[in-house]
Amino acid sequence: MLLRSNALAILVMLALLLLWEAYCRMSGVTPLVLPAPSDVLRSLYLNAHEISGHALATIGVAALGFSMSVTFAFLTSIALHFTPTLERAFIPVFVVSQTIPLVALAPLMILWFGFGVLPKMLLVILVTFFPILLSLLSGYRQAPRDFLDLMASMGAGRLQRFRRVTLPSARPAFFAGLRISATYAIVATIFAEYAGARSGIGIYILQAKNNFRADLVLSAVVVSAVLTLALLGFLRLIEWWTDPETRRRRHAPA
Amino acid sequence: MLRLEDLEVRVADTLLLGPISLELRENQVTCLIGPSGCGKTSVIKWMAGILPPEMKASGTLTLDGTPVERHDRFLSYQPQSDALFPWLTIGENVCLGLEVAGMSRGEAWAKAAPLFEPFGLKGTEHLFPRQLSGGMRQRAAFLRTIVQDSRYILLDEPFSALDAVTKIRMQEWLVSRLEADPRGVLMVTHDLHEASRIADRLLVMSSRPGRIMADLPINLPRGQRSETALADLREHLKTLLLEDET
Repeated sequence: MLLRSNALAILVMLALLLLWEAYCRMSGVTPLVLPAPSDVLRSLYLNAHEISGHALATIGVAALGFSMSVTFAFLTSIALHFTPTLERAFIPVFVVSQTIPLVALAPLMILWFGFGVLPKMLLVILVTFFPILLSLLSGYRQAPRDFLDLMASMGAGRLQRFRRVTLPSARPAFFAGLRISATYAIVATIFAEYAGARSGIGIYILQAKNNFRADLVLSAVVVSAVLTLALLGFLRLIEWWTDPETRRRRHAPA
Repeated sequence: MLRLEDLEVRVADTLLLGPISLELRENQVTCLIGPSGCGKTSVIKWMAGILPPEMKASGTLTLDGTPVERHDRFLSYQPQSDALFPWLTIGENVCLGLEVAGMSRGEAWAKAAPLFEPFGLKGTEHLFPRQLSGGMRQRAAFLRTIVQDSRYILLDEPFSALDAVTKIRMQEWLVSRLEADPRGVLMVTHDLHEASRIADRLLVMSSRPGRIMADLPINLPRGQRSETALADLREHLKTLLLEDET
């Protein structure tokens, strides 16, 4: 099903890879400058053990930072939803935070918090927090007026209306925000590692670049893409698992 | 008896409706009809305690002579749409009002479950709203309203979104349900045919600022309300509304 719905995109990708492979073989360009996709795959296979160690470090940081970001964004969204004054005060601050270039911030984070997990996690949070927060707040605003009125006429208070109407109404927007942020999470982690780390895809790319190994740099890019797709797939799974209809099928009497 | 006195609704300094006074009797269906924008919906939204904050209202509501504050104790409201939550099953939707009122899910279910069959909803308990037809969704919404055991029910154009055939079926069905389980009903509609088929009493509102310009009881039993028998009443209503427009 997943394969069928993405068939066109997969075909385009394969065509581009074939074009790239053909260009490398026919133009005589040296693999030191532009390795063919087959060279990249060979390097990936030969260095799989080393790259997988770095990939594990990256996915660990990204997952930890992303989970914390989702938690903070969710708690903040509730606070802002119930206190419009807070929303008016903080949203511009969050917008400004998004204008700080990562290239300036990543080295500063390393300088302030060292080479451990903390600076990378903070960077992931900084990058992913805002899209999740915004998607939640916009999702809350999509709660149908009729539903809220109905609950109020039944005597439901603000909290009950939020739990039973506003929160479920925000579900599609929330997952849309999560998917956008998930792609940023991996990129932000790699960027933070690039600025300074002991292990991770970012530091692997830096080392490969310093050794003029374009094939290894591209191998790391392949791994980064796979990690992002895996994270997106995991989010799809959670979305499906928590869907009310799936939940009903799980709990339905046989 | 539920009595509304001197209701006035304003937005900024503009008077939208009022002053309006009306009485709802137990076990009687009252239809509130009038031209679009006259404030019919605002009347029942105020009674249900859900008038939008930008609208300022004054007036009193008394139940059997005693002024009342908490509407949800004796009034159930059904909005224009069926307002079935798409993330809940029909069973969960029906139990919603009871759970909000403090019942556990088990207690609410024990109370609602026997009503699914008389409402023609047996077998839909575990389905989601999107899996039901428009008429069945309306019945589920109506069951959610009825099961709350309120003495009075407020219906805001409940059949306006249905196709012509389903609408007639649902009107007949509503009449039979109310005969089996009578309640005091205030139903807003702009459909003269619907109002004359269902109501025991018609309250006709004028255009903005909406006021009650006629209170017309329909003494004919519902079984005898043929098109011919209702023709005079409808003609009278039409004249009233057209005169008001000019």
